[in-house]
Amino acid sequence: MNELNRYAKQYKGTQLFLVLTAILTGLAILAQAYLIVIVVDRIFLQGQAFSEIVPLLGWLALALVARAGLTYASGRAGVRMAAKVKSQFRRKLLAKFAKNPIQASLQGQSGQKVSVMLDAVDEIDSYFSKYIPQVIQTSVIPLMLLIAAFSQHITTGLLMLITAPFIPLFFIIIGIKTQKKSEQQMDKMAAFSGKFLDTLQGLTTLKLFGRSAKQKESIRESSLGFRDATLDVLKVAFVSSLMLEYISMLGIGLIALELGLRLVVFESVTFFTAFFLLVIAPEFYLAIKELGSAFHTGRGSMGAAKKIIDELEENEQTVKWGSNELVVSSPPAISLDNAGFKYGEQGFELKEITTHIKPYTQAAIVGRSGSGKSTILNLLSGLVSPQTGQVLVEGQPLSEWTEDSWFRQVSYISQRPYVFAGSITENIAIGGNQEATREEIEEAAKKAGIWDLAMSLDQGFDTQVGEGGRGLSGGEKQRLAIARAFLKKPSIILFDEPTTGLDLKTEQILQQSIKELSAQATVITVAHRLHTIKHAELILFLKDGRLEAAGTHDQLVKAASEYRDMVTVQQGGETG
Amino acid sequence: MKDLSIVLKEVGRERKDILLSILFGFIAGITAVGLFASSGYLISKAALLPPLYALTVMIALLKMFGLARAAGRYGERLYSHRATFTILSNLRTGFFEKIEPLAPGIYQKYRSGDLLSRIVGDVESLQNFFLRVYYPPIVLIIVFLSTILFTSFFSITIAIVFILGLILTGFIVPALFSWNKRGLESKVRERRGELSTEVTELLYGFRELKLYQRLEEKEQLLTKASEEYIQEQERDGIQSIFNVSVNTAISLMVSWTVLAIGAYLVVEGELDRLFLAMLVMISLTVFENATPMAALPGHLEDSRRASSRLYSVVKEQPVKTKKPKVTLLSSDALSIDFEGVSYRFEGEQRNALNRVSLSIPAGSKTAIVGPSGSGKSTLLMLLLKVLHSEGENVLIGGQPVTHINAEDIWEKANVVLQDNHFFYGTIRENLEIAREKASDEEFIQVLEKVDLSHFTLDSEVYERGENLSGGEKQRLAIARAMLKNERLWILDEPTSSIDALTEQAIYKELLSKAADDTLVLVSHRLTGLEKMDQIIVMENGEIVESGSFNELMAKQGYFYEMKRIEKSVFG
Repeated sequence: MNELNRYAKQYKGTQLFLVLTAILTGLAILAQAYLIVIVVDRIFLQGQAFSEIVPLLGWLALALVARAGLTYASGRAGVRMAAKVKSQFRRKLLAKFAKNPIQASLQGQSGQKVSVMLDAVDEIDSYFSKYIPQVIQTSVIPLMLLIAAFSQHITTGLLMLITAPFIPLFFIIIGIKTQKKSEQQMDKMAAFSGKFLDTLQGLTTLKLFGRSAKQKESIRESSLGFRDATLDVLKVAFVSSLMLEYISMLGIGLIALELGLRLVVFESVTFFTAFFLLVIAPEFYLAIKELGSAFHTGRGSMGAAKKIIDELEENEQTVKWGSNELVVSSPPAISLDNAGFKYGEQGFELKEITTHIKPYTQAAIVGRSGSGKSTILNLLSGLVSPQTGQVLVEGQPLSEWTEDSWFRQVSYISQRPYVFAGSITENIAIGGNQEATREEIEEAAKKAGIWDLAMSLDQGFDTQVGEGGRGLSGGEKQRLAIARAFLKKPSIILFDEPTTGLDLKTEQILQQSIKELSAQATVITVAHRLHTIKHAELILFLKDGRLEAAGTHDQLVKAASEYRDMVTVQQGGETG
Repeated sequence: MKDLSIVLKEVGRERKDILLSILFGFIAGITAVGLFASSGYLISKAALLPPLYALTVMIALLKMFGLARAAGRYGERLYSHRATFTILSNLRTGFFEKIEPLAPGIYQKYRSGDLLSRIVGDVESLQNFFLRVYYPPIVLIIVFLSTILFTSFFSITIAIVFILGLILTGFIVPALFSWNKRGLESKVRERRGELSTEVTELLYGFRELKLYQRLEEKEQLLTKASEEYIQEQERDGIQSIFNVSVNTAISLMVSWTVLAIGAYLVVEGELDRLFLAMLVMISLTVFENATPMAALPGHLEDSRRASSRLYSVVKEQPVKTKKPKVTLLSSDALSIDFEGVSYRFEGEQRNALNRVSLSIPAGSKTAIVGPSGSGKSTLLMLLLKVLHSEGENVLIGGQPVTHINAEDIWEKANVVLQDNHFFYGTIRENLEIAREKASDEEFIQVLEKVDLSHFTLDSEVYERGENLSGGEKQRLAIARAMLKNERLWILDEPTSSIDALTEQAIYKELLSKAADDTLVLVSHRLTGLEKMDQIIVMENGEIVESGSFNELMAKQGYFYEMKRIEKSVFG
């Protein structure tokens, strides 16, 4: 709550405006009551002519229109404020996410971040568009009505003053009692929806075993069971609003009784005063009750705000860049000097990696899963910075080169290349540093072996792929990534070889393409294929985050027993 | 709108709770009017200094109205919510009844993971249909009509003002505004979709964006999409506020008209002056009931959208079995033939299967291999009549499947799918699905065979088998197939998450159990296929080659190459 309040405080102008509209609304309510009462009074008791009340009716119309207009003005100010805050939050999140979500995506948290950016930000809306305007109205209007009541008749004012606190008090008591229960119920509701989903998902299995007929009854039964449980909780809420109604009814009733008695028995108040108070009393209780429902909407927003703020405050290591332009005519030399990296506090740690990769080297990173292969690739790409030691490019730390000039040299072919929503052409063009021509794109596509595929589709290269478009198989995505690399012509290629066999064509294309690309570049591969490591000029053998051995295949077979075991087992093909 | 009528029918079944909701809603509405009317009358009467007893009666009445109103509101809430939840339950079971005959084919057709969660969400969102669309207008009209009737005893003119006010605030204005708002709301949805795509691409495609230096461009696109979305939301929000304010203004002006006309009538002597305050109070109260009407078109539109999405899924007719119907004999092992079968998924451009012909003799063992997306599973789905091909070119036991009931095929087959479902309950309950009347020993035996003896029959299974590992789930599914013990085995990558050693043991069990049966195994891996009578190699929906393991290896063709690559791939 305080967190959102801090944001609300930035909009002093809006808040002031809301206070002003609340005061004017209060005045409009009073004017409305006063004018209605005085018209009735003059016609009813004083028997004035119609023409005499016409100006009063004019004023009344003005007050009524003003009241509606003020509702609009205050609502609009709230919506505007909400829009501004939402935009502010989303920009902050974007700035945060754009810095370094690579770790998040490694930890599979991308989906959660998408939901924070979309849904959580939207949920904040009602705090600013509804809750704040309502809080301001409730803190101003009842007070004004109370003052008006006191000015007219002290006893009525006292009655209001005594009964009113019971409403928020009841809210608090009931709120404490039911909140936990209703939250549990919300969990139950999610679980229940889950059960319906479970049955729908299991329908295939059920039908194949001829058991689906029974399920209908069980859906009905659990549905009704859930209904009864929910109603039990709702009943408490309904009873609480029943009590609130009684309190305000009791208040209004007491006021009416008191005024009636004074009017008739003691003749100590006038009709005008009595009627006026009777009109403003319901407005008074209504304004207080409305705070309760606004509070409800506000609470949802606070939960969402917490999610966003947690996200914003999460510590992430950002990658630093320098100002030196990296200009090279051949691939730059790359070394790791005691480089280390650790995920989070207890996460996996890559330790003290030192190696030198000369230009045009075909390097392979080998090791069992979880030995740190992809972490090295991420370090070498500049997507994460080493926490200890350094990545050196042309003898200088990577962090001293400019980001642009470095990334201009690099292509990264991952196991699951991302396909953007757009045409095949657009997806290849992403690889190009400048605006590539259609010919260049088609040339790259030919080299990567997706020209045939594209031409076999009705819309050729303009076929939409990615989200909402045609799905691509794993092999097709790989070829798309290769096409991007052909278009870019990088001097360093980082390649995460697929762990499973792809179709023959893609396998062939991968081998050929990497060979072709390597004529102009240093290629560093996380290798899963014997063919690749045998042809590598430098193999980095990792074990548990450490560089166990480095050298050529023959050297390692002789020197490193674990490497030898790994490779020979594979060659023996004992699983076959 | 037609789909909404299905919902309407389900709603109509809860007659008792509907009537009670309306009744209590009416009580709450009319007593509120009564409360304010009597307080206005009370004050006026009191001003004329009547005897005290007249006042006492009025005050008692006032109290009664107040209590009745609160109680009425309570009853309305209770019964309307009870009706709503019962209706949701009816909708769920009703929908299940409709989708049951179409499953599992319908799931294959849509091929979308979120179809089912969308269904669940759509049913949930229909709760607003009864609560906000169906009965409130009925209550509103009855309350208004009663009030108008009551008013007409005092002044016909004022009753007419009420009628006009009701038509204006309850129907015309909401209808006008909803027409205008529909465009705005669909724009909000559109912009949200655009933003969602940008956010997803930024986070999931981050590496590519960074390396290809397109991140800044993407950030700008995202910021733009966010601003546009917020702008549309703002426009929509302001429009809502405007609509509410206008409706409030109109209802206040109706009360103003009542006051003005009432005052005029009193002066002209056509209305007893005692009732002026009362009529004004009635007017101020009764129009409060009309305010929720402004939100009604929005809820109606949401419900319409949810129901049409929901029922579009189950619109199609189940595929009928052609006559003459043929029944499969359970004592025989069955042969399988495909004669030039092609299949294309709806909305896709390429055939998933392209003129596939194969023959699997009764009692033989066949493996189908190939990269993912080559059409292996599609082939099995056609065989199981989960998908339907045109023509009579898929045959089981020499009979076209179009003449065999799908249920009949399922009954005669032991099926293990890629994605097998497990229900919340125990291991025993999940096994009983395959054979109801088996002894505990039989269950335990089969668990041993699939290397799951670390579970007891009473071990708990969570929803979707969440507490089981991928390999355990597959082994449990194989156990179910073994328990069923029919003579046709259809196994779709049954051991993809099981380690090689266990896989070998399970294959051995399976092959001995299925010694005389027909067995079709789809496999991504190429290990353990030496014992198969026939291996069919598929790529891009076509059969590339087929033959026994030794034949294919000797041929040094596609299978040989794949085997070579598999051997050289590290785990």
